[in-house]
Amino acid sequence: MHKIEADVQISLLEENRKYAGENREFLREHGVVSFNLMGATGSGKTMLIEKTADKIGEKYRIGAILGDVAGDDDFKRVKKHGVKAKMVNTGKECHLDAHFIHHAIEDFADVDVLFMENVGNLVCPVDFDLGEDYRIVMVSVTEGDDVIRKHPEIFRLADAIIINKISLADAVECDVDTMIRDAKRLNARAPIIKMDLKKEIGIEEWIEWFVDAVERAKKLKGV
Amino acid sequence: MSFAQSLIDNVVRIAEEKGAKKVSKVVVEIGKLLMLNPEQLKFCYEVVSKGTIAENSELELIEVKPIIKCSICGKEYDTPFAICDCGGVLTVEGGKDAVIKKIEMEI
Ligand SMILES: Nc1nc2c(ncn2[C@@H]2O[C@H](COP(=O)(O)OP(=O)(O)OP(=O)(O)O)[C@@H](O)[C@H]2O)c(=O)[nH]1
Ligand SMILES: [Mg+2]
Ligand SMILES: [Zn+2]
Ligand SMILES: [Zn+2]
Repeated sequence: MHKIEADVQISLLEENRKYAGENREFLREHGVVSFNLMGATGSGKTMLIEKTADKIGEKYRIGAILGDVAGDDDFKRVKKHGVKAKMVNTGKECHLDAHFIHHAIEDFADVDVLFMENVGNLVCPVDFDLGEDYRIVMVSVTEGDDVIRKHPEIFRLADAIIINKISLADAVECDVDTMIRDAKRLNARAPIIKMDLKKEIGIEEWIEWFVDAVERAKKLKGV
Repeated sequence: MSFAQSLIDNVVRIAEEKGAKKVSKVVVEIGKLLMLNPEQLKFCYEVVSKGTIAENSELELIEVKPIIKCSICGKEYDTPFAICDCGGVLTVEGGKDAVIKKIEMEI
């Protein structure tokens, strides 16, 4: 028995990168613009898809891949709003990865826009590129006004940041200005949209950014 | 868990290719900006390596810091944010990968 050493260079993210690249290529080929929708549990991710479909479903055919640890509630909800949907049960994984999306994506060649609703969690989803065009990060005031500061990486890399349920801010003693200041400190590019989906606040601003983002990406894909 | 699984799959594959009977130590570089928690990876590695030739092997994790620099004045920072005191945009390089560097084994 003797000892040997192997010097290697193997990235643990290589497989995810490969699938993400294939997803991105598939979406480009079919002219689909995609959004990785990340955020805290219960922050309003599914409701954002519902509202977006209500506002703009005539202009764009919308699809959604819904990542969830269990249950088909989100799936049933978005279907009612005319969204072509598929569930991905992530089992014990607390995030979507590019391989999950790879399995689901073939059904979405005919949509204009694809939402990939990540598992509710502000931590690990950020490590996994899904092949998306844009990353949206959503929080609500009920998570406390230090939630952005506590999760810098996901907000730093967001293309749009949404602070939802703002009409509840006073009731839960959350200072929205603090959240906005933290978000701006981490990310100078992303718009920070104050929203209340129930009270229909900030939806126009969101739709404006969304349409602009879709059109920009379509141009890049040559659609 | 997915990092640990990918780690053990690669380690076992390489060790078998080399004809090893046992893996004694694995060295992995972990980017500081990954959300991957080193303690958790060690724990998960211990779990998924059970029953493989890498069972009871040591896992050494080396933290890799990103280079965070102002694009205008060149000032360097430890943690990333958006804009330097001077108004310049910060650039962030590295710190986002997890790479197996070395596998020690017995033949
Ligand atoms: N008051 C208030 N409630 C909201 C608002 N937006 C969403 N909700 C409610 O918050 C709850 C969670 O909303 P969802 O859209 O399911 O949130 P989600 O992020 O998809 O949740 P998970 O998929 O479970 O992580 C639902 O009961 C919504 O009706 C809002 O702006 N104000
Ligand atoms: Mg949901
Ligand atoms: Zn996870
Ligand atoms: Zn500077």
